Amino acid sequence: MEATQPGGIDAMVEPTLKAPVAKPPGRRNDRSTLLFLGPAGLLLAVFLVYPAIYTILLSFNRGRRGEFTEWVGLDHYISLLTGDKSFLDLTQFPPEGAIWNNVLWAVFYTSIVIFIGLVVAVLASRVRYESVIKAVVFLPMAIAATALAIIWNFVYAPDANIGLLNAILAPVTERGISWLGNPSLVNAALIGAGIWGSVGFATVILSAALKSIPSEILEAARVDGASERQVFFGIIIPMVSLPISVLAVTLLVNVVKLFDLIYVMTNGGPGTKSRVIAFTMYFESIPGGQFGRGAAVAVIMLILLIPIMAYNIRRFRSSRVT
Amino acid sequence: MTRSMRISALVLGAALVAAACGPAGTTLPPASGGPAASAGGSAPAESVAPGAGGTLNVLSLWGGSEEEAFKAVLADFTAKTGINVNYEADRQTYSTTLQSRITGGNPPDIAIIPGIGFLRRFAKDGSLKKLSDMGVDAAALAENYPEGFLGAGTVDGEAYAIPAKYNNKGTMWYRPDVYTANGVTNPTTWDEFKAALDANVGKPGAMSLGAKDDWNLTDWFENIYIRQAGVEAYDKLFGPDGDWTDPTVQTDVNTMLEVINDKYVVGGIDAAVGRAWTDAIAQVFKPDPEASTFYEGGFVGGIATGQTNPDLVIGETIDWYPFPTLGNTEDVTTFGGDVVGALTDSDAAKAFLQYVTTAEANAVWAGTGAIVSPHKGVPTSAYPNELVVREAESLNNAAAIRYDGADLLPAGIAGEGLGALLQRAIRGDTIDWADFQTRVKAAWDAE
Repeated sequence: MEATQPGGIDAMVEPTLKAPVAKPPGRRNDRSTLLFLGPAGLLLAVFLVYPAIYTILLSFNRGRRGEFTEWVGLDHYISLLTGDKSFLDLTQFPPEGAIWNNVLWAVFYTSIVIFIGLVVAVLASRVRYESVIKAVVFLPMAIAATALAIIWNFVYAPDANIGLLNAILAPVTERGISWLGNPSLVNAALIGAGIWGSVGFATVILSAALKSIPSEILEAARVDGASERQVFFGIIIPMVSLPISVLAVTLLVNVVKLFDLIYVMTNGGPGTKSRVIAFTMYFESIPGGQFGRGAAVAVIMLILLIPIMAYNIRRFRSSRVT
Repeated sequence: MTRSMRISALVLGAALVAAACGPAGTTLPPASGGPAASAGGSAPAESVAPGAGGTLNVLSLWGGSEEEAFKAVLADFTAKTGINVNYEADRQTYSTTLQSRITGGNPPDIAIIPGIGFLRRFAKDGSLKKLSDMGVDAAALAENYPEGFLGAGTVDGEAYAIPAKYNNKGTMWYRPDVYTANGVTNPTTWDEFKAALDANVGKPGAMSLGAKDDWNLTDWFENIYIRQAGVEAYDKLFGPDGDWTDPTVQTDVNTMLEVINDKYVVGGIDAAVGRAWTDAIAQVFKPDPEASTFYEGGFVGGIATGQTNPDLVIGETIDWYPFPTLGNTEDVTTFGGDVVGALTDSDAAKAFLQYVTTAEANAVWAGTGAIVSPHKGVPTSAYPNELVVREAESLNNAAAIRYDGADLLPAGIAGEGLGALLQRAIRGDTIDWADFQTRVKAAWDAE
């Protein structure tokens, strides 16, 4: 989760820097270009390009021990997408399986995090103790995902003497609610824990974006008789739409590679109800020893990330041009 | 840009490249050297003289009291042989670590291997060394260890690992004080067991279950199966020719549901599926119990008395009786445990394998109270408490013992495993055994 955040923050800051960038001084020396690109290029090749190609090739292979042992063609993909109900089950509605769970995460986690983040940022900006609120909301960001998962394991424990949530609900419920043991609740419970961990990030980013809105614009709108509601939807939202979309991309990337929370809190259970794609990749590769199959899951994950990345790159290009 | 800046950039770049390539370059060769090394090791091995020196790398999954106990054994090993030991423990991500180190060409000399599915995988990969290549005397092994245990370290008739420690998985843990208060005597048959649960319902509760850890359910399944369908059927079901569509499988699940249901399980099934198994132990063995019976292996005793409630008194507030019999009245049970195998054929690894098969090493280990040793040379007096002595005796006296079946199944079952499937079964879902059969068979064929 944390890994993408520095990039996210950079991306957030960039559009607000309107200072003119110095034009490149004519044609550069090819050799020095190579020299400067070389180290970075080599690192990318060793740590990114080579593993990616290896993984793609491995996904067409039996892949015992993670080595190329036996060519199996598209077998892994076919069995994953058509024969594995824990990965994708389209036979019922709503569908089930790891891919579908990722869809649930993408929709609910992303939208709720941005919504709460925006609400908190806007409300906090109107009170004097803003920094205190932001610090409190941001606090979960300082907690490692594993620790966060363990905390929420306790919160969700089914017995009221352990589980905080059930202790709170004890007066109104007959017996404890099994948040992580009930297939129809488990994904909502996990997404809830994920939201708690990410709202602070969204709040801080959006709060900074709100601060960058020139106060003259807001004042002008109010002088012209705009209501607070009109100011919010007509001015504030459009003016922070770029940070919101950057935030959405960051959160979506987090969703696709989501693993730690699931691994610690439910290990994919009950049954396989809370598995997500990245968890399946781990589960097939390491405990299952099916590295080829795991690689196929990784490739599917990569394919799902491509549109998000394409959007991101296109947006960067367009923001540079303007 | 000045010339000196260019040079420093070049130097920095070179340093980065060197840093990136260095470790990778040095770890590459052994991956392909594995099989060759094992071929070289097939020459008759000589026992290592004491004081040979050197270093032994051990990777284990044991933490806490198990780790302390094992370190006592390792210290004794160092004292006897002069070989220093690098001990590395990784409980949560053990399989990841071991697999990564093997794949990366940097295996530990000795690994503690949990689960026979794992052992089989590493043996078939050629990662594990054969015991016969490690200078371990097969005849002495057969003499010192019960047959059922050696079978746990054997793959395709070839011995790869030595049973290190085990636990009886046929132990039904209970609160003697609650049983007495409710006028319940220890049940021996399944019907008596259900009657005992009945008598304890609500006073304060019959049974606790932590099915979030789904291996608790596979253990239930196995222990019912070996007693209900018999040892022969057990061997077949958990072997390559197993047939999961056989009616005995669903009969087993139905039998499970006779006791694992909302009536007997404290808090109900829904809560049980969301409960960690250690929390379920606490429900029975905390000072004010909510339930009176908990089923799991012999290790429950150590956890309950060591972590849950140090005030427990054996025979008064904690004890166990054998898993109730079903149909088959023969004295059979399952056991679980870890085996020791070698991933390199270094002299230190050979010396260690020889050492752990001695009665002395096993007695040191047993004396720590953390384990039950399968070595026949360990006297019962070596054990520190009665719970462990009885656990060892019950296994040694059984007509037949079998290894934990879920750990015998291939690791690479695609999709939903047995434990996940049983989590659904106890919630009342109908299980598609034909589908499971297809996937298990595919996993066996892929091994």
